Parts: sequence; C-alpha cells; structure tokens
Amino acid sequence: MTLVLHHYLILASVLFCIGLLGAFSRRNAIVVLFSVEIMLNAANLNFIAFWRFGDNPELLHGPLFTLFTIAVAAAEVAVGLALVIAVYRHFRSVDLESLNTLKEE
Amino acid sequence: MNEVTAFWILAAIAVIGALVAVKKRNLVHGVFALLVFFAGLAGLFLLLLAEFIAVVQILVYAGAVGILILFAIMLTDRVTGKDSFRITSRGSFWGAIVAVSVFLIVLFPTIQEIPQVENPTASAEIVEKSSVKSLGQKLIQPYVVTLEILALLLTAALIGAVTAAQGGKTEEKEVLE
Repeated sequence: MTLVLHHYLILASVLFCIGLLGAFSRRNAIVVLFSVEIMLNAANLNFIAFWRFGDNPELLHGPLFTLFTIAVAAAEVAVGLALVIAVYRHFRSVDLESLNTLKEE
Repeated sequence: MNEVTAFWILAAIAVIGALVAVKKRNLVHGVFALLVFFAGLAGLFLLLLAEFIAVVQILVYAGAVGILILFAIMLTDRVTGKDSFRITSRGSFWGAIVAVSVFLIVLFPTIQEIPQVENPTASAEIVEKSSVKSLGQKLIQPYVVTLEILALLLTAALIGAVTAAQGGKTEEKEVLE
C-alpha cells in the first residue's frame, strides 16, 4: 500500500471537522479561536497534498498559497486575541454566551 | 512502506492533539495539545516534501501563535485553570452532530469525484523543483504584489491588535484623571 492523495484529503477533512466541533460546542472565546486555527491548518494540508500529487509541481502553487494562508492566519490570531482581551476587559469574561449585548451599559 | 507508517503515526498525533485541544476543559493543557497538533502537521508537511512550509509551521504556529494564545489565556483566565471549569459546553451534542454531518458531506465527494492520481511526480523531482531558492524567486517575481499586500496586512493587523488590546487602558486613565 502506498500513500495516495486521498489519505491526506480524508485526514484533512477529519481535522477540519474536529475544528468545527470545537468552534460549535465550546463557549470559551479562546478555544473557538484555536478551533478556527485547526480548521485553517487542515485547509493548508489540503493545499500541500494537492500540490504534491497534482500536475506542475514546479509552479509551487501549494507552498506559496500555504505561506500566504499562514501569514493571514497569524494576523487573524493576533487581532482575534487582542479583541478577546478587549472584550474580557469590558465583560470580565470570555464566555461567549455572556457576551450578548453590543452597546455599553 | 516506511512512508505509510510515518503517515499513520503523524496522522494519529495530529488527530489526537486536535481532539484533546478542542475537548480539554483546562485551557492551558488544551494549548499544549494544540502545540502537539501543530508539530504533527509540520511532520505531515515534511512527509509531503514541503520542508520550508514545515519549518514555517513550527516557527509561526508552535512558536508564535502558541505562545500568543498562552498569553491571552493568562491575561483573561485565572492561571490556576479553575475558572475555565465554569465555562462548560452545553451544545456539544448538536455540535458533534453538525461536525459529523459536515464530515460526511465533505467525505463522499472526496472519495467519489476526485480521481486517483495515476503517476504522482517522483520524490526526487519534487525536492529538486521546490527548493527554497525557487520559492523565494517565485515570491519576488510573479507574486511580488501579493507579498507587499501581505506586508501591509501584517502591519495593519499589528497596529490594530495593539490598539484593540490597549483600548481600555487609556479610558481608565481618563477616568482616573
């Protein structure tokens, strides 16, 4: 048995759904944030797998796209965590269900 | 044959790491499981012959993002972890149902529609064509605009993050004055 593209695709979809499960079922904002990271990483795995097994590997589409995704994800997590800290300062909690108002009280 | 064994081991590390990260009540333990997940994924990138991406994965995710999340936890939660017990999940049943159904929806097209690659490019050829040098040349030549936009985005994100995180502080100062 050799490794084929489908091994990686199925693994990536498993990881994506684990991230989805975390984003849906947890109420802590930080856990939701890193569940999103897990989903982004699963997508990166797909990019690299398609590049490895696809045509024209010399164009380097997979690694370049993954590089850009990683940079955008890093920006996203920085802003996300800053927002979590700002929200915590205001509500004294990172429980998503207690954040149910948009205006200042 | 060795490659297959490595794949299963790394896949197990990644899946277990992700599951523990998502399910663990204690957030600090969760972040350490997340770091294990990132490392497992870096191993998978190595297995797919994308060495540079694997290194970047370790540097950016296991290094920067992991530490950043750890800091955010320490700033928002009591570090003892007791406070995180208060925030328990209630919708995990429906979350699991949605996640499993999305998995099945994604899985069937994957198996049925995407054709089996008959002759994937040989490993040696991939290694030869995906050197860091050619990656850098690609970044400078056809993708230079994207690179610059990315630099702008990172700068904006940095300024935005600092502004958002210190926003309350200036207000408190004003109140004190």
